[in-house]
Amino acid sequence: MTDPVRGERLLDVDGVVKSFGGIRAVDGASLRVGRGSITALIGPNGAGKTTLFNVLTGFQRGDRGSVRFAGEEVLGRPAYAIARRGMVRTFQITKALAAMPVIDNMMLAAPEQPGERFRNLFLRPRAVRAREREVREEAVRLLEVFDLGELAADYAGTLSGGQRKLLELARALMARPTLLMLDEPMAGINPSLGRRLLDHMQTLRAEQGMTFLFVEHDMEVVMNHSDTVVVMAEGRVISVGEPQQVREDPAVVDAYLGGAAA
Amino acid sequence: MTAPPPAFTLEAFTNLGFWSGVLVIAGIYAVVALGLQLNVGYTGIVNFGQAGFMAVGGYSMAILVLEAGFSFWLALPAAILITMAFGVLIGLPSLRLRADYFAIVTLAMAEVVRLVAQNARGLTGGNKGLYCEYEGASQTCFDDSWRSVSDSILGFVENFWSDPEVLLPLLLVVWATVAIGIVFLEYVQRTPWGRVLRAVREDEDAARALGKNTFLCKLQSLAISAVLGALAGFFLALFLATIHPDDYEPIVTFFAFGVLILGGLASYRGVAIGAIVVWTLLEGTRFVELPISEEKAAALRFAIVGLVLILLMAFRPQGLFGKREEMVLGD
Repeated sequence: MTDPVRGERLLDVDGVVKSFGGIRAVDGASLRVGRGSITALIGPNGAGKTTLFNVLTGFQRGDRGSVRFAGEEVLGRPAYAIARRGMVRTFQITKALAAMPVIDNMMLAAPEQPGERFRNLFLRPRAVRAREREVREEAVRLLEVFDLGELAADYAGTLSGGQRKLLELARALMARPTLLMLDEPMAGINPSLGRRLLDHMQTLRAEQGMTFLFVEHDMEVVMNHSDTVVVMAEGRVISVGEPQQVREDPAVVDAYLGGAAA
Repeated sequence: MTAPPPAFTLEAFTNLGFWSGVLVIAGIYAVVALGLQLNVGYTGIVNFGQAGFMAVGGYSMAILVLEAGFSFWLALPAAILITMAFGVLIGLPSLRLRADYFAIVTLAMAEVVRLVAQNARGLTGGNKGLYCEYEGASQTCFDDSWRSVSDSILGFVENFWSDPEVLLPLLLVVWATVAIGIVFLEYVQRTPWGRVLRAVREDEDAARALGKNTFLCKLQSLAISAVLGALAGFFLALFLATIHPDDYEPIVTFFAFGVLILGGLASYRGVAIGAIVVWTLLEGTRFVELPISEEKAAALRFAIVGLVLILLMAFRPQGLFGKREEMVLGD
């Protein structure tokens, strides 16, 4: 298997294992993500994609292996610490913080707010207020980009499913990720909104050099919008390559694509 | 013999003694419920152990004064620190659990505290509790210092009011604490720290994915609640002039939950009003004369409070002051 990643590696996953009882959900998965790339993670249901996501982002503790992000080992580190390093994820089922206003959802995600430490509320109130002003401006700007500006004061729970998807993406961007990990970003949204999400991804990569790793079942999206495709089956990575290469890989056709894509 | 019809004497409600008693106990419960509001209403952690924190606070203060020879004024902050450390100790292993398991741990913790108090006779007086026999003049009491302060406040008040209520000083201190507590909690709730707490309540995983140390926030929330529990424990001890294991039964926590539900989730001011309503109902119903035995009448008082809570849930689930959106919105 040739290494299709050119340039600097941002994420280097090596031999990650995660078992639940006797079942190895992830069974020695290895993959690489180049800085500034858009990498798709595909595979049949139960292939271990979401579990791998959970292990990479610290939501589940991996049993073995190594996850190097920007040159640092992050396997076994707590989820919040991994997110602070710039590896930010979304969830398969959107997690809008329903009983909080949209603007608070956004402002929550901002990094480096000293006011999130209790003692700073009293020791550095001015720094907290100054950062809060910056964060609010940034949140308002991003909400405008995602056409959510007018909903800023509304509770996130009143948003439609599609608006929640947009909010979740905008909120993840507030956290200033270097690697954005999206778990089925297109699931349950209409095609035009899906196109807008994809356009946003392309723009963010072009303008900010942001890197994306996303789980997706829509093969059209995967084939047209990713540089690299990683295919998982039964907890292992069975193929890696450019979309066209992967599509023609007999192992992939056999395990996942079946007759449809051939 | 025909039973007399139910009578309701309004006399009690014009009696200052009645109101000062109700307001002191309501204030104590408001302090307890402020902590619960922080935990349950704003952090989403269900703390059923507030009575345990009250007991740790009350007993530590009294034991420090009586056994370790601390002055009352030094014993107060020391007991607050002890209770806070105890809260952190309980939170460290249990806050990683799911909400319902955490609730059970806190309930068990409070019972352990109470049972220890009941059995560590040398330190806590066991089932006799810690109290004073005022007949023996030279005996030291845990609340001696408070009594002298209380007496000098009363002495000052007598300049304007010939026969002041003896509970007035305690009432003032308790409600000043409630007011300061509300101002403080409303302030921290509006800060970025408070925002992280609310995010934990909504969805802890989402907050973690955005780089928030949710565990630390939950621990801090519990520690602050423990401090409020300790303060309420002091006030209860001063109010009753005794510290007894029976005063820290789980029912105390659940009355505070009643206060919380009545006042409304996610409202600190609501807690204060809720406490007054609950205790006016509980104490006011003492004066309804019914043709039933005293035990039955006592049970009926609780039934009435329960009925009010049920009606409230049916017609105003957000409580008196809660925000409806914060109750009903979900994913």
